[in-house]
Amino acid sequence: MSGSGAPAVELDAITKRFGDVIANDGVDLTLERGTVHALVGENGAGKTTLMSVLYGLYEPDGGTICVDGQPRTFDSPRDAIDAGVGMIHQHFQLVDTMTVLQNVVLGHEPTDNGLVDQDSARAAIDEVCSTYGFDIDKHLDTRIEDLGVGVQQRVEIVKSLYRGADTLILDEPTAVLTPQEVDELFDVMAELTDRGQSLIFITHKLDEAMAVADDITVLRDGESVGTVDGASTSEQELARMMVGRDVLFEGQERTTEPGSVTLDVADLRVQDDRGLEQVSGIDLSVRSGEVLGIAGVDGNGQAELVEAITGLRPVESGTVTFEGRDITETSRRDRIEAGIAYIPEDRQSEGLVQEYDLVRNALLGNQTIEPFVENGFVDWDRVREHAAEIVAEYDVQPPHVEADAGSLSGGNQQKFVVGRELRHDPDLVVASHPTRGVDIGSIEFIHGRLHEMRDEGMAILLVSSKLDEVQKLSDRLAVIHEGEFVDVVDPDAVTEGELGLLMAGRERAAADGGVER
Amino acid sequence: MLRASVLERFALAVVSTLLALLIGSVIVWATGYDAVEFVTSLLYGAVGNLSNVAFTLRQSTMLILTGVAVAVAFRAGVFNIGVQGQFVVGGFATALTILFLAPLLPGGPVGGVVLMVLGTITAIVAGGAYGALPGLMKAYADANEVITTIMLNFIASGVVYFLIDAYLRPSGTSAPNTESFPDYVDLPGFAFGSGSFSVIGLGVALATALGVYVVMARTSFGYDLVTSGYQESAAAYSGVDPKRTVVTTMTFSGMVAGVAGAMFAIMVLGYYSDPSTFPSFGFDAIAVSLLAANNPLGVIPAGLLFGGLDAGGQYIGFTLDVPSELVDGVIGLIVLFVAAPELFRMSARRFGLGGDDR
Repeated sequence: MSGSGAPAVELDAITKRFGDVIANDGVDLTLERGTVHALVGENGAGKTTLMSVLYGLYEPDGGTICVDGQPRTFDSPRDAIDAGVGMIHQHFQLVDTMTVLQNVVLGHEPTDNGLVDQDSARAAIDEVCSTYGFDIDKHLDTRIEDLGVGVQQRVEIVKSLYRGADTLILDEPTAVLTPQEVDELFDVMAELTDRGQSLIFITHKLDEAMAVADDITVLRDGESVGTVDGASTSEQELARMMVGRDVLFEGQERTTEPGSVTLDVADLRVQDDRGLEQVSGIDLSVRSGEVLGIAGVDGNGQAELVEAITGLRPVESGTVTFEGRDITETSRRDRIEAGIAYIPEDRQSEGLVQEYDLVRNALLGNQTIEPFVENGFVDWDRVREHAAEIVAEYDVQPPHVEADAGSLSGGNQQKFVVGRELRHDPDLVVASHPTRGVDIGSIEFIHGRLHEMRDEGMAILLVSSKLDEVQKLSDRLAVIHEGEFVDVVDPDAVTEGELGLLMAGRERAAADGGVER
Repeated sequence: MLRASVLERFALAVVSTLLALLIGSVIVWATGYDAVEFVTSLLYGAVGNLSNVAFTLRQSTMLILTGVAVAVAFRAGVFNIGVQGQFVVGGFATALTILFLAPLLPGGPVGGVVLMVLGTITAIVAGGAYGALPGLMKAYADANEVITTIMLNFIASGVVYFLIDAYLRPSGTSAPNTESFPDYVDLPGFAFGSGSFSVIGLGVALATALGVYVVMARTSFGYDLVTSGYQESAAAYSGVDPKRTVVTTMTFSGMVAGVAGAMFAIMVLGYYSDPSTFPSFGFDAIAVSLLAANNPLGVIPAGLLFGGLDAGGQYIGFTLDVPSELVDGVIGLIVLFVAAPELFRMSARRFGLGGDDR
């Protein structure tokens, strides 16, 4: 298929409308064979819509699609797959209870007298794996639910390759991965392009786009702002194209000093659902007007620590004290009422009810808070106003409070949750990955809000796997490894390299500049 | 279609009913019976004269109350299949209250009202307690509520039968019935003049449906319940205690079932009897609730439709020689047709159609 010299994919003036909303307005994109083409843009800029058009999920209202030089119209993903275009969705399309082998061949099973021919399926997958250097062949009989996210993603890729794809669309593939898994994915992507595969890489992380892409096309408000060379562009240039103005990458100077201790945690031990100890004797304190950052590789006890502080998980031993009151045994609701806001790691299942509109989601967590609820009765007019205020202030798109939460893109969901939690005017905010999946303009805004609220005297406990984020926002930075704090450091004085070593569990040789709690 | 208005849904239900009746009559005709007579008898049995209307409304009253009880639990994501048992226990509590307190209180209308009110209150308490039991077992012993509530239906029926037969059966009789309630313990029939239906009973059912709707839609308690039903993890995040919510949901559901029991004892029977002979309102209520998309207000028209079909079907059974299986089949067809759009709507929502995701 390749070698004809024609681009792998050529999109010409693609237009797609949903009712009155124009999601794509005359977008052009050319994917050269054997290259990575990044598609960047803020949440709701139309990246996913454009790719859904290419993948046959949506019919365009205008424009043409050429694959390998041939004009094509796709009525369904099956047509796209037949033309060699595969898509790796952000939420994997895998059956959790089936094995890797079954998932890969699903819908395209080699058959032998009507039965699935296991041996030739295995052989075909082995061939794909050895061609591209994948290591999933040893997992073929493992069920998907028993595999890590990174491996699941590779299964998705192998599934597309097995179906004969030579052009792959990766829809925000790094959003669900840890930093190490991201590096592994980039290696896989390099291997794929070396073998003649062409990749479209959707992301809103500029450093990732610059790291792997040959060309970068920027979308804004459904239009293509332009295509630049991945090697010669800068983060500033891309950010300006995406947002339409200059973006500050620096933190703001603080204007006030920290006050009294708001949250104090002493010798905390917490178990996970399986009864394994995940938090092993952590001490920490956060003062009002202060941000304590917690950096660490995901899965080192951050989730359990946060849940224990917010009241979602019982502790084994130790105490949690909030504003001088021991709240170790109090309910989640008591803690909400006491003024602890929580931006949860998982907005999909915890932070929002997917089938509720934004009005009903604005009440989530506020069920006992006046003026939204008085004498047990909900004042829906007041809640509706509240929802509208969040949507306006945090620029949630589309700006309709009647929209179901599930219909919003991930970044807009996150903005709504952050807005709801910060508008409580809490005394303590526990923020778990507050900007995960959020575009640059909104990250800037959320970071700005957190700094403002810190200056107004709020205490913030920030957990993030993004080092630049914790370094930029924190006043003090604790590094967690296997349920313990390895060290507490000054975020301005520490380098990323040092942090990396601490996150791997290695203590620094000397206590240089470490800030005691 | 996915977000059809109430009016559209109602129109759909009417058209579906007519279509199902048409197909049903073809089947009746094809099996060699008189289709026209079948349909007219069904309609006549449901609404043909005052006493048939009274019977329809009596069945509807029971189906609305039990339907609301099911809807409450389903809305909160708890599968209360034990409404029948809670209804049986509630009615038994009413009967005990009335039979034991009647000699101690003055007779006449005042005594009647007092007894009926007290009887209803004890039914609510007893139904709630009997609902709380599987709720507690689910919350604190991880026992699946579908299984426990089904089992508790049999236990309720058996224990009540035993108590009536052993202790409450008047001497010299052989039927497992209690004594009749005093004459003054009865709801007036008003225009209907029927011994087993009163507009007051229907009024109680409508008021209960409305009251439960208000609780679900306008109170923070209702928000807690409904949110638990949609997404348990989000409910926990918002401060809802999942274990306690299971118990309160089952209690609330059982309390509504208790009201149904009270109306059955007071309005329909006027005594109490072997529960295994009672109509299976608590099970039919599951279909009523599903048809209403588990909306307490939607249960009202759904209950009226089921009540009418039940009355019409029974009338056909009395008057025509059509096999009862055929009657049930045609009625099942109507239910299927009416419920199908709702089912499609629910499954469409489940599979994420209908949103313009970018």
